[in-house]
Amino acid sequence: MPNAMTCEKRKDWEEAGLRLEHRHDGQLWAIAGPRECPVWVRHCFPWSAPGRFVSLRDGEEEEVALVRDLGELEVDSRRALERALAEASFVIEVEGVDEVEDEIEIRNFRVRTSNGVRSFQTLRDEWPRTMPDGALLIVDVAGDLYRVADPQTLDVKSRKRLAAFIG
Amino acid sequence: MTAATFDRTRKSQGESTSTDRAILERYTDQPAGLPRELRTSIERRFHGRPVQLYALADLDVSLRLTEVWLALGPQEVAVASLQGSVPEIRTFPRSAVGAVRLDPGLTCNTLTLLAAPGEPALAQLRFTHRQRRSMENIQFALEQALEGRGVVEADPDAVYAEAVAGPIREAQALVAGNDVAVLWRLLGYLRPYRGAVTFGMASAAALTALQLLPPYLTGYLIDEVIRPVQAGAVSVAQVKGLAWWIVGTIAASHVLRQGCAWARLRWMAILGEHVARDLRTELYEHLQRLSLAFYSRKKTGSLITRVTSDTDRLWEFLALGVVDVSLAVITLLGLSVVLLTLDWRLGLVMTLPIPVLCVWVYFHGQRMNLLFLRAWRKWSNLTDVVADTIPGMKVVKAFHQEGREKARFGQRNSGATDEFNRIHEVWTSFWPALMLAVRAMIVLVWVFAVPRVLGDEAFGSALSSGTFVAFVLYMTMFIPPIEIIGQIARIMNRATSSAHRIFEVLDTEPQVVDEDAAVRLEPVKGEVEFEDVVFGYDGVRQVIKGISFRVAPGEMIGLVGPSGGGKTTVTNLIARFYDPVGGRVRIDGVDLRRIDQGHFREQVGMVLQDPYLFHGTVLENICYGLPDVDFDRAVDAARAANAHDFICELSHGYETLVGERGHTLSGGERQRVSIARAILHDPRILVLDEATSSVDTETEYKIQEALDRLIAGRTVFAIAHRLSTLRRADRLFVVEDGKLKEQGTHAELLAIPGGTYRRLYGMQRQLTSEEGLHPEENSCRTQ
Repeated sequence: MPNAMTCEKRKDWEEAGLRLEHRHDGQLWAIAGPRECPVWVRHCFPWSAPGRFVSLRDGEEEEVALVRDLGELEVDSRRALERALAEASFVIEVEGVDEVEDEIEIRNFRVRTSNGVRSFQTLRDEWPRTMPDGALLIVDVAGDLYRVADPQTLDVKSRKRLAAFIG
Repeated sequence: MTAATFDRTRKSQGESTSTDRAILERYTDQPAGLPRELRTSIERRFHGRPVQLYALADLDVSLRLTEVWLALGPQEVAVASLQGSVPEIRTFPRSAVGAVRLDPGLTCNTLTLLAAPGEPALAQLRFTHRQRRSMENIQFALEQALEGRGVVEADPDAVYAEAVAGPIREAQALVAGNDVAVLWRLLGYLRPYRGAVTFGMASAAALTALQLLPPYLTGYLIDEVIRPVQAGAVSVAQVKGLAWWIVGTIAASHVLRQGCAWARLRWMAILGEHVARDLRTELYEHLQRLSLAFYSRKKTGSLITRVTSDTDRLWEFLALGVVDVSLAVITLLGLSVVLLTLDWRLGLVMTLPIPVLCVWVYFHGQRMNLLFLRAWRKWSNLTDVVADTIPGMKVVKAFHQEGREKARFGQRNSGATDEFNRIHEVWTSFWPALMLAVRAMIVLVWVFAVPRVLGDEAFGSALSSGTFVAFVLYMTMFIPPIEIIGQIARIMNRATSSAHRIFEVLDTEPQVVDEDAAVRLEPVKGEVEFEDVVFGYDGVRQVIKGISFRVAPGEMIGLVGPSGGGKTTVTNLIARFYDPVGGRVRIDGVDLRRIDQGHFREQVGMVLQDPYLFHGTVLENICYGLPDVDFDRAVDAARAANAHDFICELSHGYETLVGERGHTLSGGERQRVSIARAILHDPRILVLDEATSSVDTETEYKIQEALDRLIAGRTVFAIAHRLSTLRRADRLFVVEDGKLKEQGTHAELLAIPGGTYRRLYGMQRQLTSEEGLHPEENSCRTQ
């Protein structure tokens, strides 16, 4: 819950010239003047504005700073943030669909990704979601995300298998 | 040292492990366990000590799919990569791990093991959500060790399989079930009705046989009566009797056929209803036996569907499907045999295309399934709008969004209509095409048959007119069985799906069960004791972490503390909705697991924040569970609960219907009815869970007054954010992070420097003074 203390804290960090760096503890660190703390990234609009509005949060889930545009940051900080975002925003890209089979209460998908075949399951009434850019986003029962960037560019058989979920 | 547990289902662990492994093998592309050779290598590096827990990291640093194993031993941690031909194993001592961090992402999570915060990572593993539970198990075990606590040793293969397969198992009714076995089990429900089944099936078989008779007799009539008479070979008088006998037999076969149809429909329909009733009863009775843990895993809608729609589908299958499918097969075989017997050449013309037609019907069914799936999706989109906007109509109007909502609905309505029209386009094209194909077969028979009927020997031996007519009549009988055979997959699929869902419930064992020689405490005095109780809902994360206390009969305990700290779980354990995974709960000195559940629950009353009223009258709700209570006692209970006055104002008094979940009453009124119910129930142990929250001050006063009467002389556990409910409490228990942090009277707890209660109390005082309330008005508030 944003309270006065959080907002003040955020203002402090942003005004003090925020820098970001990836350290050997595997963590992204925010640095502003003499202060520094490890931060976690949260994308406010992961699909509509992937390079913008990134919330940097501390271990208590309080916002340290809101990066409205990665271009605001100096080069090294931007690289560090991009690296963290790559992991935080990673979804499995689907390049082809080998099987879509309805079973009892679940739907079984077998897909081709850039580095191998993967099977996953969704609830039968959990429909794939068409994103603003036309991509198809599928959430499996474990919560993993599978993205078909452009369903129309898939091979004919894959398109046919996804026909029930496109359009 | 208290031990946590990973062992959720101790009773049937072997069985659930094999199911989980089957799920992994069938549904995922990952190993069902740590590869044996790798495990051996790791244990060698562990100096012979066993792997206690392990998890798979399926993403590498470049976020490509990979296979890296994280294994935990008693003294070491291993990270083993299987990317090359030789596994790379890196180990480090567990004692080196000083901090564990799990960073969640959209799909990629990262587990980092550190010697200390800020120091270089000992290991960093990336993995998808599928592996998250098993990684969390390792995180939990390491964090427990850092706090000086251990975990109960469990089979690491079972823990891994359960963690990875869990989401699939929870999503699906019965994953690795065998459809044939399920169908046999379903047909087993027909056993008590053997006689009716035999009669119904015999009627259906007779119906099939009888429908083959008229065409044959028609052909016979033409060949043996009509044509000889027309040719002058015999006189009318000679064959008149035979002719009438044939006509009479045809008429009798039609009457008999309809009689058999009647018998088959009625017997099988009634039989199906009986089986559906048996299933519904068995299912509902079993649902009553299941523990609350089951209901927290399953959606209410899904369970309602199983009791209603699924049993109805099975009626359809048993009453119609079983007979229709078997008769369709028999009819097709019978017709083929008859036609081939009558004339094998024409018979082949008619029977050879049949498999092709069946395949065609099958593929049409597949296409229709796809179209129905699309239509279902569009229909869901449409109903989502309705479900969204009707409950939220006030917001729609307040923001003047009627136009936008109309457009949204219109767009989705058109989408759904387009899909249904596509379905209509397909099936309205298919069936005429199928009929055309069948007619083409018939025409082909004519093409081959007519020259032979006319005596053209170039086309084969002569064919009698009667045989030809019989053929023509038989040919029209091919169409209905072909239709049914095309639907077999769909019929079977629907039936097995429903059966799977029903059997899943029937096969679930209650987690809280009575011992064979369960004890009945008569009377229950109300002494409650927790001895180092440990509990977690999911078997991994502890919600209660070693709580001990003893409460004397008639004592009132106030449970306070932050939300999510474990207060409600303590009361759930007292009511024995769950059994602890460690330690003991004792009632009057007897382990609660040894006490007869039914008898004990009669001695426990609950007044909850959102009281549940059943659809029925106010009186029925007050007397719930005690239907023989007289009016005097019901009215006395209502008066004691401060409910009598508002009940009298209702149009039908105590006999007013309260509607589904009591929606016609206000929250405060529902609460007072539930208090009256508890008063009438007269429990020895009473749980009050936020009984006065979310009501106005005047209502709270009335409820509080009623509660004061209710708690007298009973052992009471009251959860409340306002101390006004707890002012009579003999002691306060501060439950935080699953532990009993503080206990004592209000004054004693306030005297603890830096204590949780003191802090919460101070925060509440500050809030109330900021709101301009006189501090004394709220001086008794806890947080």
